[in-house]
Amino acid sequence: MNPEYLLARSKNPEILEKGECGGAVSSIFQYLLDKEIVDGVLTLVRGEDVYDGIPSLIKNSEDIRETCGSLHCAPTIFGDLISKYLTEMKLAVAVKPCDAMAINELEKRNQLDREKIYEIGLNCGGTVMPITARKMIDMFYKVDPDDVVKEEIDKGKFIIELKDGSHKAVEIDELEEKGYGRRENCQRCDLMIPRNADIACGNWGAEPGWTFIEINTEKGRELVENTKKEGYIEVKTPSEKSLTMRNKIEEVMIKLAKKFQDKYLEENYPSPEKWDEYWNRCIKCYACRDVCPVCYCKECALDKECYVKEDQVPPDPLTFQGVKLSHMSFSCINCGQCEDVCPMEIPLAVIYQRMQKKYKNKTGYTAGISEELPPLYSPEKE
Amino acid sequence: MLRTYFAEYNTNGEKMKVILNVAHSICPQCSVGCGINLITKENKVVGTYPYKRHPINEGKNCEKGKNCFNLITTKNRLKNPLIINKNSNLSKSNWEEALDLIVSKIKSYSPSQIGIIGSGNSTNEDMKTLKKFADALNTENIGYYTGNFPEFDIKTATFEDLEDSNFILIIGDVIKENPLLGRRIIIASENGAEITSVDSSNKTFTGLNSDNYIQIRTISEFLDNMDPNVLNKLNESSIIIFNKLDHKEEFEKIVDIAKNTKSKILPVMEQCNARGVMKILPSLDKNGIAELISNVKLLYVVGDNPASYVEESLNNLDFLITQDSSVNETTLLSDVVLPASCWAEKTGTFINTTGNVQKISKTVPAPGSALEDQIIISKIAKKMGIEL
Repeated sequence: MNPEYLLARSKNPEILEKGECGGAVSSIFQYLLDKEIVDGVLTLVRGEDVYDGIPSLIKNSEDIRETCGSLHCAPTIFGDLISKYLTEMKLAVAVKPCDAMAINELEKRNQLDREKIYEIGLNCGGTVMPITARKMIDMFYKVDPDDVVKEEIDKGKFIIELKDGSHKAVEIDELEEKGYGRRENCQRCDLMIPRNADIACGNWGAEPGWTFIEINTEKGRELVENTKKEGYIEVKTPSEKSLTMRNKIEEVMIKLAKKFQDKYLEENYPSPEKWDEYWNRCIKCYACRDVCPVCYCKECALDKECYVKEDQVPPDPLTFQGVKLSHMSFSCINCGQCEDVCPMEIPLAVIYQRMQKKYKNKTGYTAGISEELPPLYSPEKE
Repeated sequence: MLRTYFAEYNTNGEKMKVILNVAHSICPQCSVGCGINLITKENKVVGTYPYKRHPINEGKNCEKGKNCFNLITTKNRLKNPLIINKNSNLSKSNWEEALDLIVSKIKSYSPSQIGIIGSGNSTNEDMKTLKKFADALNTENIGYYTGNFPEFDIKTATFEDLEDSNFILIIGDVIKENPLLGRRIIIASENGAEITSVDSSNKTFTGLNSDNYIQIRTISEFLDNMDPNVLNKLNESSIIIFNKLDHKEEFEKIVDIAKNTKSKILPVMEQCNARGVMKILPSLDKNGIAELISNVKLLYVVGDNPASYVEESLNNLDFLITQDSSVNETTLLSDVVLPASCWAEKTGTFINTTGNVQKISKTVPAPGSALEDQIIISKIAKKMGIEL
C-alpha cells in the first residue's frame, strides 16, 4: 500500500501529559486492550531505574500508563519471546525496527502467526548498553547516574533529566568517538523507521505534543482509524514542512549509518589474525546462538559431535563459527544481541552484518524486510 | 512496580494460561555473582533472559549461568520429607513425622556428639539461622567446605581494579572456569595489560589467551621460587587471581607476595556465597570436614554434599539428616531428608568473590512441600523448645 502519514495525540488528558509526544502509542494500546482486540501488550516497563527496561506482558489497560516514556538504555529483543512463549495469544507489541525484523524472519519460518500480532513500530535512533550509559553519564555529564530520572535522544544529542528537573545534553558524536554512546550495531543500523511494522510512530517531523505516524499496512490503517473512531486519539494531516523535516532527519541518520558501516565493516574490520585471536577466546557457551532471535531450529548442528566436539574449548572455528555463519548470516538483522551477550567480547555482529550485506548485494535479499525466505534457506528445517 | 501480569481470559472468554514474567536474579553457579533474568510462565521458570543492567556481567552469562534455571526445574528436586524405612529405603513422609524424628534424635545426643555442616551456596540469612541453632544446641562442631581456601578477611581486588591493571598473574584456568571474570581479564588485555598464567596441565584455555603460560608442578613450588620474570612485573597495578590452591598454606604465601610487591589479590572460590558464609561459619578443608564428621554421631547437613568428597567418613555416623533442594549422593545415604527451597524460591543475600552484597528475591514458589532453609531450622528449633 502507499504510505499514509498523519499526526496523532491521545484524548486522555493523563496520557497526553505523561506519554511521549502526545501519547498516541499508549492510547492505541489502551484501545486494543479495552476493546479486547488483543489479550496482552508486550512492551518494556522500567525496572529499578531508567537504565533497566524489563519486557512485560500487560493485560490491564490502566497499567499502560506505567509504560510511558522512552527507555533507550534497554537493548532488548522481543521476537523470540513471542515465538517461544506467547504464540497462543493475540498480542500487540511495541517494536523497534530490529524487533520488527526479527518478527518478520520468524513469521517466514512459521514460528509465529503474524495475523495474531499488532506491531506498533517505534522510530529508533539506537540504544545504549545500560552500564555504558551509567559510565558515560558519570564521565561526560559529571552527574551521578542515579540522579537521572529520564533520558531522550533528540537532534543528535543524548539528553538527561535530573531529579531536580534540570537537563544536560552531550552530542552523540562526541560520546561515540570515545567509544561510548549507542551500541555499535545501532550505529551501523540504517532502518530507523520500522516500515516493516503495521505503523511506525515517532517524534521526527512532528509538532510538539503530537506523534508522527506512518501507516504501513492495511491492518495498521484500520487500527488508527478505529482508535480515532472510538475517541482514543485525535488525528490531523501533517504539514509539508513536517514531512520534509522527517525525511531530512531520516536521510541524515541513514547517511551517518552508512558512514559507520564503512568504518566498522571495512576500514576497522578485524584482520584475519585478529579473528584468530577472537575465536581462541570462544568458550563455546552457545549464548550467541541461543539469543539470536531468528535462529530457532530444535535440532541444531552445533549440538552434533561430528561438528563440535563436546570437550573441545575453544571449538574449531571452521565448524562452530562456520556452521553458525553459514546458517544464519543471510538472515542477520543486525540486532546486535549476539555481541551483547558474548562473555568473551567477540564482535560477532560485524561478521554477520558484513556477510548479510554481501548476500543482499548479490541476491537482493534484505533480512527482516524481504517478504520471501533467503534463497539458500532449507525448508526441510524444523 | 509492574512485573507480573496474569492474562486470565482471552477475547473469546476462555480461561487463558499465559503468564509471562521476567524477574531479576543472581546466578548461583559460581562466586562471580552475575545477574540473570528468570523468565517465568504460569509461575514456572522456563528460561533465562539477559540482565544487561547488572554491573558485573552486563547481560553476558556463561553456559552454566544461562542454564541455571535447570537447577529449579530438575527432575531431582526434593518435594517432600523422606525417612528411612525398615528396608533401609528412603520413603515419603511428612513434615510432622520427619521433624519429630529429628528432634527426638537430636535430644538423645550430647552437644559434642552433634555436628552441623552448612554451605557456601546458601544465603547469609539461612546460614546465620543455622549458626544460631548450633549455638543454642551448644555444639561447636560446625563449619562449611571451602576447598583449600582458608578463612580470610583481607581487602581484595575489584573488577574495576582488574580492568585497569597492567599485569595479571593467574593461577588456575580462570577464564574458562569463571568466564565473566575472564571477560575482565580479556578487557584488561585489550587495554594493554600483560597476562601471565600458570597451571599444572601442559596447556589450558586461560594459557591460550595469555601472553605467557608457565606449566608448574605444584602451586607451592611456583610460589616458593617464583620466576624473576614474573616476580619483577608484580607491582601496585598488578593483580594475582587464583581459583585453586593445592594447600591452605599457599593462600598466605600469595598474600605475602602481594604485600611485598604491593600488588592486589583476587581469590575466586567455587560457591556463590562462599565469601558471605565465611563471616558466619568456620571454613573447613577436606580434612577439616572429615574430622568434624568423625567426631560426631549425628550429622545435620544443610545445602552441602559431603558424600561427594569425604564419603568414607560418613560411615561411622549413627544418624544423618540432610536438607537440600535436590537429590545428591549424601541425601541418598541419609536417615532423614528435608526438602528445601532453591535460590530462586527465597529472598536473601549473597556476597560475591569481590565482596559485593547482592540481594536475591523470591521469584517462584517452591515445589511440593519444600520450605526455606531458615524456616526448616526454625521449625526444628521450636520443636526443641529453643528460641532462635
